[in-house]
Amino acid sequence: MNAPRKIDCQEAAERLYEYLDGELTPDSEAEVRAHLDDCAPCFKLLGFEDAYLSFLRARTRAHQAPEHLKKKIFEQVLFDQDSAS
Amino acid sequence: MAAPADNRREAFEREALPLLDAVYRVALRLAGDEAQADDLVQETMLKAYRSWHQYKSGTNVRAWLLTILRHTFINEYRKKKRAGPTVDVGEIEGYHVFHEVQEADPEGNFFDQIVDDEVLRAIDSLPEEFRETLVLSDVEQLTYAEIAEVTGVPVGTVKSRLFRARQALQQKLYDYALEMGYIKRVER
Repeated sequence: MNAPRKIDCQEAAERLYEYLDGELTPDSEAEVRAHLDDCAPCFKLLGFEDAYLSFLRARTRAHQAPEHLKKKIFEQVLFDQDSAS
Repeated sequence: MAAPADNRREAFEREALPLLDAVYRVALRLAGDEAQADDLVQETMLKAYRSWHQYKSGTNVRAWLLTILRHTFINEYRKKKRAGPTVDVGEIEGYHVFHEVQEADPEGNFFDQIVDDEVLRAIDSLPEEFRETLVLSDVEQLTYAEIAEVTGVPVGTVKSRLFRARQALQQKLYDYALEMGYIKRVER
């Protein structure tokens, strides 16, 4: 297997979110990973942004649809007369 | 044998109703208040039920529902309310907050002191196209391709909107943390 192409800090920074989101192709991901292994400042940035995204997820997922709404929708569907099927 | 209407209801209950919380969370961020989010979700689910025959079983029901939600919001709700952008996210400098705090708080511990409501308020103050992209990604965990499908833009646009939305939000939260004294500004 060939070693990943070398990329600089700017390229790594541009792809950082895609890397964290698991959206890169395997080759591109290997390039970013190789850079992060070698570059302490970029690795630090990765840790910071990773913490930020985890924090966002933790703070925003608590809301659930209220019970009265669930009930209404259930009834609405149950008694819907405008059948299209 | 069950009538087609019963099959439809069964399939809808099995596949679509479990996603009600996700639809509601996105509706709340799009509409901005609970009463409107309720109406928006009801309308979305009724439309989805009535056009259930257009949904191909086994495909991405979440993206399908969120697409209906978004169209309903744009066509019927957006005109009624919702202020315009409160920040210009056109000129976002990449990783500005990290550069400010990398000595004092490189692990971003100050984030932990910011409560849920403040985070949601900050999200709500983003311009709509950035807000919806960020909510679909960071709240509902959709992939870039799914977000592109729901919002009707190319994946490249999703990427750049998401980058700018996350950075703009981070800056707002940092400014708030400074104001509250959760972190001190570094003198340079």
